[in-house]
Amino acid sequence: MPQIPQLADQRILTPAQVALALNLISRMDFLRLKAIARLHARGLPPDVSWDDLLQEAFTRVMTGSRRKPQGVAMVAFLAGIMRSLRSEHWSRARGGPASNETLRIDHQRDLSRAAELRDPGCDLEQALLAREQIEAIEQLFAGDPVALGILDGLAEGRSAAQIRAGMGVSKTDYDSARKRMRRALLREGLTCALN
Amino acid sequence: MRTKLTLSTPAAALGRILDQLDRELIEASDEDILDAARDLGMNPMMKGSAAFLGLQFFSFAEFFDGDALKNLLQDGAALKAAAPQMASKRTARRPKSKRSIEQKDPAVK
Repeated sequence: MPQIPQLADQRILTPAQVALALNLISRMDFLRLKAIARLHARGLPPDVSWDDLLQEAFTRVMTGSRRKPQGVAMVAFLAGIMRSLRSEHWSRARGGPASNETLRIDHQRDLSRAAELRDPGCDLEQALLAREQIEAIEQLFAGDPVALGILDGLAEGRSAAQIRAGMGVSKTDYDSARKRMRRALLREGLTCALN
Repeated sequence: MRTKLTLSTPAAALGRILDQLDRELIEASDEDILDAARDLGMNPMMKGSAAFLGLQFFSFAEFFDGDALKNLLQDGAALKAAAPQMASKRTARRPKSKRSIEQKDPAVK
């Protein structure tokens, strides 16, 4: 009977390590993804770190629960997964469908009259947390009025053209500001280790 | 004309900001990343660069690094080749058991 050779290394590998070994991403992509994960981890419950987001995104790709469409770059695909993971965590924190922290009123066991109440404190807490994070992001661009204006526009859901028109800046100035914002976000994303 | 309604809660605003800013990072070129790293005094091209802090893949990357893997395989092959010789030497030099020494002692008999 043929013998199966022993593995040279018996370390337990993280999904990110496997992705690197399989050449799904490059080392530079790793840095890109680190910055993206750190961005999406803003405003998440304290029990979820950016590394959790990143590893979970890799896991979903490797287990096949999320399939990358052809023509989509791996980094963009993983970023999309992290975005949806962030939404899931927010919904859990708000006491959404995944949470059990709802009050059920069904005194008469009549399900047609059952109602679910959400804890209003959750929304308030999340609003405060979100406000705090927006202020932290604004701090990254402190001293750059164009970048801060763009941030306001993004918060209101405006398009690039609407922001430019509203602020009265040229396309060149707008693009330069976006470039500065990108650099600041990368610096912030590369800076520290775990949350 | 229909008016587009947008949620104005801080959480919704944060969500919109993050969704837009992550595109900036997705589109960031390798040069952008290297420039940002240089601003921080980091060199991502170096092994063990602080830029990779928190991303736990170094040991694995080093393991798959050409030289490291070659050394490991050579060490493994050398150990395997030496194993039978070591075993025969161990058998030859095996110290006599206490029992056999005791049996030679005439006083015990």
